[in-house]
Amino acid sequence: MIRIRAALEDFGQMLFFAVEVVAWAFRPPFRFDQVLAQMAFIGAGSAFIVGVTGSFAGMVFALQLNYAMKQFAAEGYVGGSTAFALSRELAPVFTALMVTGRAGSAIATELGTMRVTEQVDAMESMAVSPIQYLVVPRVIASLIMFPILTMLFDALGFAGAYVMGIFVARIPVGPFIEHTRQMLGPEDIFHGLSKAVVFGALVSIITTWRGYSATGGARGVGEGTTRAVVASSIAILLADYAATVIFVGG
Amino acid sequence: MIEIVDLWKSFRDNHVLKGITLSIRDRETFVVLGGSGSGKTVLMKHVIGLLKPDRGKVEVDGVEITALEGKALTEARQRFGMVFQGAALFDSMTVLENVAFPLRERRGRKVPSAEIRGRVVEKLAVVDLGEEVLERWPSELSGGMRKRVALARALVSEPRIVLYDEPTTGLDPITTEYVDEMIIHARERLGITSMVISHDIASAFRVADRVGVLYDGHLAAVGTPAEVRSSPDPFVQKFLSTWFAKQ
Repeated sequence: MIRIRAALEDFGQMLFFAVEVVAWAFRPPFRFDQVLAQMAFIGAGSAFIVGVTGSFAGMVFALQLNYAMKQFAAEGYVGGSTAFALSRELAPVFTALMVTGRAGSAIATELGTMRVTEQVDAMESMAVSPIQYLVVPRVIASLIMFPILTMLFDALGFAGAYVMGIFVARIPVGPFIEHTRQMLGPEDIFHGLSKAVVFGALVSIITTWRGYSATGGARGVGEGTTRAVVASSIAILLADYAATVIFVGG
Repeated sequence: MIEIVDLWKSFRDNHVLKGITLSIRDRETFVVLGGSGSGKTVLMKHVIGLLKPDRGKVEVDGVEITALEGKALTEARQRFGMVFQGAALFDSMTVLENVAFPLRERRGRKVPSAEIRGRVVEKLAVVDLGEEVLERWPSELSGGMRKRVALARALVSEPRIVLYDEPTTGLDPITTEYVDEMIIHARERLGITSMVISHDIASAFRVADRVGVLYDGHLAAVGTPAEVRSSPDPFVQKFLSTWFAKQ
């Protein structure tokens, strides 16, 4: 009972924190250099792992679909089905999970260390809002970079599916491309990118909150980071389900 | 002037401050002495508005810090500099960037970028550090150097009040004496009001105009070092006797 109450209190505090982050985001000074630095860290820094994951997800998905669809002589639909699954589901979810593991954990650790070594208090004592200086740039950078990384995942995933489909499974290029055009519309890309924005908001708020509220030295920072990654991953999966039900129907 | 009036603070069942009342005069160095966990840092964090009291208030130059929020609190903090126990240097910034931080971030009276480096070098010279440390990272500095950089950072924006949280903890005797001289220098030459929290009795008696001894959430004694030394309070006597016995 006490643990449930503590968890609810923590959740409530995180919601207040999120409101504060939004309020500080619209107050000058606007820290473009900080946002650019975070975009480089969250975006450019995660491009390699997202690209590798996207390529292999596309390749494996295409091979599995080819195996299944061959039984119905429907191999021509492999490209379209892969692109559809990638853009609506696989790319936003896998990208968010990978970025959580790489950048989200680093954000929680960095802010947590700053908190327990009083660097956050020092910033506050110098009349600078740590939320505005440390948190807002990370949240804005996530909102921008999660969809961009998702597009990278889409592109490399489809490229991987194309290579496997055309050169390994020997699917004719014509039906592969034609069915992709038929099955994939701009609304599917938009669906995935909308999810990526939501995931970016969730992951950045959860990981910055866990760092910002860290207590108790190195152990507290470690626990905060673990909780940040676990909570972000669960939030991604729950939000994905909720968004799919809302957009597609139950 | 800093006025602390009937200040109470608890963390769940732990009652840390139980009605502290205290005045710190302009250009005075006031040292709060007390054992570990006696609430010294909690008291100091109320003065700069990093913590909110359960009851009571803190006024600085007639402004009630404990009632301020957001922008008003941020502006009120511009009159303070603070030296943290572990120095609290930003480890993702060089020494130059650390000391320049309050100047770059100051609202209103912006310091031109061309002047910032000169001001940083000047303040580092005050704490006996040369230009060779400017591009070093905090992790490349010794404990004493980190404390001195923290002191330079606290003084660079020329605040009226400087708060020192355990400034000599973990330092060797020579560096301790050096930091003490810096605190005395800040008062005598720069006219700064200082609040120092410490459990270092020798250092406290060297720098203090007045001393307060914090025990069990109360100030057990307040006065000049000589007055506190002759306090009849049993805790104060016990606390001080360990050090005076060694002298």
